[in-house]
Amino acid sequence: MGETSAGDLPFLFAVILLAAYGVVCVYSASSYNAEVQYGDALYFFKKQLAGFLLGLAAMVGISFVPYEKFRRAGLPALLVSLVLLALVFIPGVGRSNYGATRWIGVGPVTVQPSELAKYGFVLFTAGYFAKNPARMRGFKGVLPVLGAGLSVCVLIMLEPNMSVTMCVGAVMIGMIFLGGASWKTLAAICIPVLFAVPALILAEPYRLQRLSAFMDPWASPKEEGYQLIQSLYALGNGNLFGVGLFHSRQKYRFLPFSESDFILSVIGEETGFFGVLLLFAVIGFVIWRGFCIANRCDNFYGYMLVSGIMLVFAVQSALNALVVSGCIPPTGLPLPLISAGNTSLVVTMAAMGLVYGVSRHNGKGKIHRIYQ
Amino acid sequence: MAITFLFCLFLARFFYIQAIWEDDLNLRAVDQWTREIPVVAGRGKLIDRNGEVLADNRAAYSVYARANAVTDPEGSAALLSETLGMSYEGVYGKLTEKGRSEVTVARRTPKEAILALEAHDLRGIYFAEDDIRVYPHGALASQVIGFTSYDGTGTTGIERGYEEYLAGKDGEILFETDLVGVEIEDAVAAYVPATDGMNVRLTLDYRIQALAEEVMARALATSSSKAARAIVLDPTDFSVLAMVNLPSYDLNDIPRDDMATLNALSRNSLVSDIYEPGSTFKIVTAAANIEEGLRGNSSALPLNYVFSSSRSRVVDGSTIRCWSDHKNGKHANQTLAEALNNSCNPCFVDIALALGKEKFYEYLGAFRFGQATGIDFSGESIGMLLPESTVKNGDLARIGFGQTVAVTPLQLACAAAAAVNGGYYYAPRLVQEIFSEDGITRFFLKPKLLGRTVSEEASRILSSMLEGVVRDGSGKKAFIEGYRVAGKTGTAQKYEDGHIAQGKYISSFVGYFPANAPKYLALVILDEPQGSYYGSTVAAPCAAEIFRGIIDIMKIQKAEG
Repeated sequence: MGETSAGDLPFLFAVILLAAYGVVCVYSASSYNAEVQYGDALYFFKKQLAGFLLGLAAMVGISFVPYEKFRRAGLPALLVSLVLLALVFIPGVGRSNYGATRWIGVGPVTVQPSELAKYGFVLFTAGYFAKNPARMRGFKGVLPVLGAGLSVCVLIMLEPNMSVTMCVGAVMIGMIFLGGASWKTLAAICIPVLFAVPALILAEPYRLQRLSAFMDPWASPKEEGYQLIQSLYALGNGNLFGVGLFHSRQKYRFLPFSESDFILSVIGEETGFFGVLLLFAVIGFVIWRGFCIANRCDNFYGYMLVSGIMLVFAVQSALNALVVSGCIPPTGLPLPLISAGNTSLVVTMAAMGLVYGVSRHNGKGKIHRIYQ
Repeated sequence: MAITFLFCLFLARFFYIQAIWEDDLNLRAVDQWTREIPVVAGRGKLIDRNGEVLADNRAAYSVYARANAVTDPEGSAALLSETLGMSYEGVYGKLTEKGRSEVTVARRTPKEAILALEAHDLRGIYFAEDDIRVYPHGALASQVIGFTSYDGTGTTGIERGYEEYLAGKDGEILFETDLVGVEIEDAVAAYVPATDGMNVRLTLDYRIQALAEEVMARALATSSSKAARAIVLDPTDFSVLAMVNLPSYDLNDIPRDDMATLNALSRNSLVSDIYEPGSTFKIVTAAANIEEGLRGNSSALPLNYVFSSSRSRVVDGSTIRCWSDHKNGKHANQTLAEALNNSCNPCFVDIALALGKEKFYEYLGAFRFGQATGIDFSGESIGMLLPESTVKNGDLARIGFGQTVAVTPLQLACAAAAAVNGGYYYAPRLVQEIFSEDGITRFFLKPKLLGRTVSEEASRILSSMLEGVVRDGSGKKAFIEGYRVAGKTGTAQKYEDGHIAQGKYISSFVGYFPANAPKYLALVILDEPQGSYYGSTVAAPCAAEIFRGIIDIMKIQKAEG
């Protein structure tokens, strides 16, 4: 464990900038809907602002904790995640919305366990691999990670929430790869997955419908295709330079989930293609700095932990953008740090706090060798 | 790495959507962002040849409600129901009807009520122009003008025939709204102006139309006829100056609930219904004979030919008799001019048979019997003319004096005009000009010559004979000193179910003046006059009255000598 330093400040500021920008965007995207539904244009803004402050506190707080302390938290975090995911299915505790049970409610507070589970899985995997990096070489050594990943995936899939499942799956494969597993091991994992995806799509009729809607949204403009069409309208209206912040036309209740999963549509409408480009430049910068921190880390646990967190962030950002632009079928997945949704925001910021913490506690200049 | 690739992939996709596909997307999106209130185009006016307005619009408004945007249904309903004189419950129901984005609360609301409502600035209530069609002269020329349906589309007459020009193109006011139609605050409403319809200038002369209607109404009453009809035509270009179909109805108070009555009253019988013309048809037979004589056809009977004085002719075994018993000696040793004066049937039998089927049908074709006249009015009948191939001599003989043939009044008037105007058959017309209110766009509908009937020489000879009919013969009652009126009477028995209907006559007179250069031609028809039923006594006086009126209106001077 090296001495503490100021850490990677550009990374920290970029994360805070994104989250703050998210608060502004949430206000813009939600104000009309909030006014109509809750009689308070600031309803979602206030919630998001609270989440931002809470997240900021969590971020700063966690960054002061030496990250090695989380090493032992891996298994408990996974277990807690699994328990919370299971709680979703207990009547009275689980909260349903839009035909899926993805939340658990404690009084007025609702929490989305899948948001926690992603990071629970990362904590567990990082800890497990770091304990004995050598066991990655063989297929057997990877099995516990696979088991943990699959349990999380299955529980999330049952909610159902396909996109987060995909996200966790991608993170799992990514971490096994970064952990230094052999090509054979990776192939043994990836090939079944390739077969599993079509099977999973066929298992739930609504997924097939969404898939066909994605191919030709105008075939069912009022049903399956609606969400995608509205997202495309927003982006189209944005053109290259956007219609200007707060001037979205689609937020007038045309675009569902405009403040959460589809906030990128509103951003695309208000700031145009260059706004989207700039936003992803910042997101890309965060990811790049994040992996730099991982690479600089002289500690295998820190390396795996940061890589895992950055993978979650990167995969989720990419998936969200792919959904919003109609490259893959619509699924409910927030754009991390930006979309409305406090669980996601606080947890993501806390995770970013962890990454920043690693950068602070790192010895400088030592480049970690990537096992490959 | 995979992540970088994914980033490039979706960024390229964003670029495609936002920079290339956006036009197409926007086109579709605009549609959902706005709700429209129609701006009804002002319907074009109908005017007579001198600009007298025959059909106009009075400003009125529709009241619309968009339930999702109504903020105070109780208050608004109270105000609306009071101002519009509607039930509160009915209005409240409409203002709260959430299922539809837009509900019509009231139509054709007068301007004053709208001004009163506008002052209250009710949320979710909109007004749009929705004019009422008005006809300043009520029943005048009602079958020609026609009327519009409740939504303002032409249903009959010129209103329907020229719908395309009269209607114009509706515009709209586009309001920016949210998904369910609530107007967005501070959004500017886009206004797509309506293009008003074009005005249509008829060939009718309001003064002559009114005069003819007055004359015919009087005749209808005094003769207790079933119907009285008249058509006034300008023989120089076949412009229709008046079309009278009585009984009639008020265009401002259309009996929409009684379809049978409305259909009967709104029918332009002059164009759509046929009758057996009787002796007025002899003009055509005479014209054919004169022309053929001039052309040196030896079959034609010369102008100095003296007809047999016998009352009857036997054709193919059946006997055809004159309407007169030939006892007073008037129908003895007649020339063609005298035969016209006396309207002696056997003489025209002789002519038809002399010319023969082929020749005579040539002329019937040139005078457009059995064909449409080509008037710019829908529902024209072509009449009934036996096909040349099936005509027997007995039929041909009767056609010669106007039986066994059915024509529309318009066909007869046009044939007469084409016989005496130098032999020119034009397409009759009711519309002479279509123009936009601002005068920028104008179409003139020029007279259209369809063909020749007889030579100018034949026409001149015929005309002088017809002048004789009015001066010395059966048309005396149409005589006006110094105005060279010419014409021919007609009295035909009506057929019902293929048999002669006893005591039912159609009395008619077709006349014109001045005989040397016909300018006004009138065909007057009385359907089933009671008492006196001869065209000479019932119809000819009406034509004289119409001509006197025209002389008055047009301030026409007496002819020299």
